[in-house]
Amino acid sequence: MNTAIKTLNISKSYPGVQANSNVSVQIQESTIHAIVGENGAGKSTLMKILYGMTKPDEGEIEIFDQNASMSSPKDAINFGIGMVHQHFMLAKNLTVLENVILGIDRPSFKNLGLKKYKKLIEEVMSLYSLDIDLDMFVEELSVGEKQRVEIIKVLFRGAKILILDEPTAVLVPQEVKELFNNLNNLKQNGVTIIFISHKLDEVIEIADDISVMRGGKLIDTVKNENVSKTEVAEMMIGKSLPIPPPRSTETKQNKILDLKNITSKTVDGRKFFTDVSFNVFGSEILGIAGVEGNGQKEVIESIIGIDNIESGEIYFNGEKINDKTTRERLDSGISFIPEDRQLQAMIMDMNLTNNVIIGRQNIKKYKSKFATVKTKNAINESENIISLFDVKTPGTNTLATALSGGNQQKFVVGRELEDDPSLLIASQPTRGIDIGAQALIWEKLRESRDNGLGVLLISADLEELIGLSDRIVVFYQGSLVTELSSDNVSPEDLGGYMTGLKK
Amino acid sequence: MIKNIYSFILKRYVVITPLLLVLIVAQREEYSQLTTSGTFGSAIRLAIPIMLAGLGGLFSEKTGVVNIGLEGMMIMGTWFGAWGGFTYGAWQGVFIGMLGGALFGFIHAIATVSFQVDHIVSGVAINILAAGVARFLNVISFEDIAYASSTASPRITGEIGKMTVPFLAGGPINDEETFNLFGNIENLDIFLISDFAGFILGFLSNISYLTIFALAIVPFSLFILWHTPIGLQMRSVGEYPTGSESLGVNVYLMKYIGVTISGALSGLAGAYLVIGGTGIYLEGQTGGRGFIGLASMLFGNYKPFGILMGSGLFGFADALQLRSPQAVHGLLIVISIFLFVLVLKTLFEKKYTQSLISLLFSGAFLIWFLNSTTIPNQFVYFTPHITTLIVLSFANQRIKLPEKIGVPYKKGELT
Repeated sequence: MNTAIKTLNISKSYPGVQANSNVSVQIQESTIHAIVGENGAGKSTLMKILYGMTKPDEGEIEIFDQNASMSSPKDAINFGIGMVHQHFMLAKNLTVLENVILGIDRPSFKNLGLKKYKKLIEEVMSLYSLDIDLDMFVEELSVGEKQRVEIIKVLFRGAKILILDEPTAVLVPQEVKELFNNLNNLKQNGVTIIFISHKLDEVIEIADDISVMRGGKLIDTVKNENVSKTEVAEMMIGKSLPIPPPRSTETKQNKILDLKNITSKTVDGRKFFTDVSFNVFGSEILGIAGVEGNGQKEVIESIIGIDNIESGEIYFNGEKINDKTTRERLDSGISFIPEDRQLQAMIMDMNLTNNVIIGRQNIKKYKSKFATVKTKNAINESENIISLFDVKTPGTNTLATALSGGNQQKFVVGRELEDDPSLLIASQPTRGIDIGAQALIWEKLRESRDNGLGVLLISADLEELIGLSDRIVVFYQGSLVTELSSDNVSPEDLGGYMTGLKK
Repeated sequence: MIKNIYSFILKRYVVITPLLLVLIVAQREEYSQLTTSGTFGSAIRLAIPIMLAGLGGLFSEKTGVVNIGLEGMMIMGTWFGAWGGFTYGAWQGVFIGMLGGALFGFIHAIATVSFQVDHIVSGVAINILAAGVARFLNVISFEDIAYASSTASPRITGEIGKMTVPFLAGGPINDEETFNLFGNIENLDIFLISDFAGFILGFLSNISYLTIFALAIVPFSLFILWHTPIGLQMRSVGEYPTGSESLGVNVYLMKYIGVTISGALSGLAGAYLVIGGTGIYLEGQTGGRGFIGLASMLFGNYKPFGILMGSGLFGFADALQLRSPQAVHGLLIVISIFLFVLVLKTLFEKKYTQSLISLLFSGAFLIWFLNSTTIPNQFVYFTPHITTLIVLSFANQRIKLPEKIGVPYKKGELT
C-alpha cells in the first residue's frame, strides 16, 4: 500500500498560540483516515497547511512520495488534494453544473460547452456512484446534496485525496448515512479520504486509521480495529487533572433560573434540544459540558429569548419569562457573555465608552430626561471597569478593535458584571485568550459567585469547567444526559458522557 | 402543452394582461394611436437608451457592484458622443461615447473594488462628477465654435443611415418602392392582427442602423453572461466571491471588467441620445434615464430580454405622451382593469390588505376614466414615470438579487 500524504515535523505558530508543533503523520492511499481532537487541538491548522491555505513555519510535506511545497489551494489541487469545507463554497443562484465547472476554463469569450461538461461530470458521478441533478439551482438543494456537489466539484478537478472538514456537523442522521456510503464507495475506487471530526461515534464507524491531536501535537496514530472508543476519548481529552479551588461560601437555596422540560423549535426537520430541565441556584456556578453542536448554544439562546421554544417553561427568579422579549429579560437581571466577543459582544469600530452603553441605553444610569445618553456616566463606568479588571488600554476613547483579545474579553466580563445581575450566562468566557486574562476572569467569576450570583457556564475547556463549576450537566445530542458534582469528576468521565460512551 | 401555456401566462401575467388590455382598448377610434406602427417606432427609439443603461446595470450588478452611477456614465456618453460626432463623424462618435462611459465605469471600479468605497457613495460621486466634467469639457472644447454654448455642443457631422426592410415593410430596392406587407395588414384594421402588424412594422420601417446595433446587444449580453467562461466567472463573483477565489477566479479582474462594460453600455446609451436623436449635446439631456434603466433592470429580473421588455414598456408610455395625449386617456382604463385583476389574484392568495389597496386604486382610476375625456397636460408628461412605478411595485416580488451585491470583497479572506 502506498503512502498518500506524509508530513515531517510540521510546526506552525500564530501570535500567542502554538497551533501545530512537530506534527508527523502518514496517511495511506485508499483509506479513510480520521483526524480527531477537541476544538483548538490544531486539526484545522493542519488541514489548512495540507490544502495550501497557510504555510507551515517548519516541516515538510510529501504527497505520493513527491516533495510538495504549496502556497495556495491551487497548488494543492494540482497535487491532487481537494477540500470540502464545512461552510460550502457554492454560489446559490448558479446551477449545480455551473458551480462544478466554475474556474476550470480560462475567462475567455468562447462558448462554455455546457453539454460537453455535463457528459464529463456524469461520467465522474457514475464512476463514484454519486447522484445529483446537474440543472438544479444550488439554492434548491438540501444540505446533504450541497455537500455532494462539493465532493463532485473536487473529484471533477482530479482530486485523489479528499479532505472533509467536520462533514457531519451540518447533516441530519439519514444524510450522514448516505455520506458514509458515498465515502466507502470513493475509498473502493482509490480515493484517499481525510476525515476531520470530533464525533467519536462516527469516526469509529467510518475510519480505517485514527490520528488524535491535542494541544497542537499529534498524540498518536492508531488502527481503528486495534482501539476502543474509550481509549480514543482518553487520548483526545488528556489526563491532567485540574486543581479544584477551595470555596468558603455555600450555595444558596433560591432557584435563580429554573428550566422545566423545554424543547426547541423544529428547524429543517430536527430539534436542537428536547425536554431539557435544570436549575441554577444563587451563589452557584452550573457548568454545561458537551461537544459543540449538541444543543447547548440553542438552550442559552432560548433562555435569553433570541430563539423561541416550542414547549416547556422558563422561570427566572420565580417569574415565568417565556413570553418576555430579550430586552425585558436582560433588563430584569440576566447578563450574557456571548461566545464570540468580536461578533456578538462588542462593536469593534466603537470606543469602549459606547461599548459600555450598548444594550443598556434604557437603564436610568445612562438615560437622561430628554432621552439623550448620559455619556459622562458611561465614561465613569468604563474607567471603573478598566481599573477593576485591569484592562490594558490607552483610555476609554480607544476603539474596541485596538485592544488585544484578552483585554476585550476582560472588558466584556466587567461590563456584564457591573450592574449586579442575578444570573450570568457565560459562554466560552476564556476562549483564545492569554493565561493572565484567563486567571483574572476566573477569579472575578468566583468572587461574584461568592456574592450571590448564579452563573451558567458553557465551556469547551473541560479543565476550566471542572475547576470553576459547582455542578456540571452534560449535553449529548440535544438531551441532558447526566448531572455530576464537580468534586469527584475527571475529564475522562466527562469526555465519556460528552461523546455518548457513558449514559 | 396546454399546461405549459397556462404556467407561462401565470408567470408573465404582469406583462401579458396589460398588453391584452391595451390591444382591446385600442379598438376604440379615439384610442387607435395606442397600437400604430408610428407609436411603436418611436417607442423603440425612446426605449433604447433605457435598455442600454439597464444592460449596463446588469453587467455591473451581476459582478456584485451596485451601480447607481449609470446616469453619470450616460452623461459622459452624451458629451463624448457629441464631441466625437462633431470632430470625427457619427459612428466614431458612438464609439468615443462608449469610451467616455467606460472611463467613468473604470473610475467606479477603482473606487468600489480596489478601495472598497461604499458602492452608493461612489455612484453618487460619479453622478455629480460627470455633470460637472461634461460642462467643463464642453466649455473648453467648443469655446470658439459657432452655435455652441456652455450647455450645448455644435451639431455632429455625418449621419447614421436608416433602412426600411423591402417587401415586408415596403423598403426600396434600387430606388424602386416594393410591396409593403405589414403596412397593408395594418391598414386593414383587423382586430389584433392589424395591431400586431403595427408592432412588427415599428421594428422594420425607417429604423436606424444604430438601433439595430443596440438591439443586437441584448442577445449578445445573454450569450456573454450565460454561455461563456468569462460570463460564468463574472456571475460567480457577484454570488460568492470567496468561493470563486478558492477556485482560481480573479475576483477583482472580473469586477473591473463587469463595471467597465457597464460604463461602456451606459456611454452608448448617452451617445444614442445624441447621435440617434437630437444631434447635439444638451446639458441635462439624460433626464434621469440612467435611473429608469436601473428600474428596468429590476423589472427584468436581471435578464437581458426582461430588460428589453421593461424599457419597452417605458418607451411605449413615453411615445404615447409625445404622440397622442388623447390615447393616454385610454391607459387609465387599462390601469384600472389591470389593478382589478390584481385584486382577484391577491384575494385568491388571501392577501387581504394588498387586495383592498389594489381595489381602492382600481376604483379611483375607473372614476377618473369615466368622468373625463382627456388628461391634463401636466399628467400626460408624467405618464411614463407613473406607469413604470405601478408596474415596478407589482413586479418586484420575485427579484433574484445576486447574493453578495454591494458587499465589498477583500482579496485573500479565505476562511
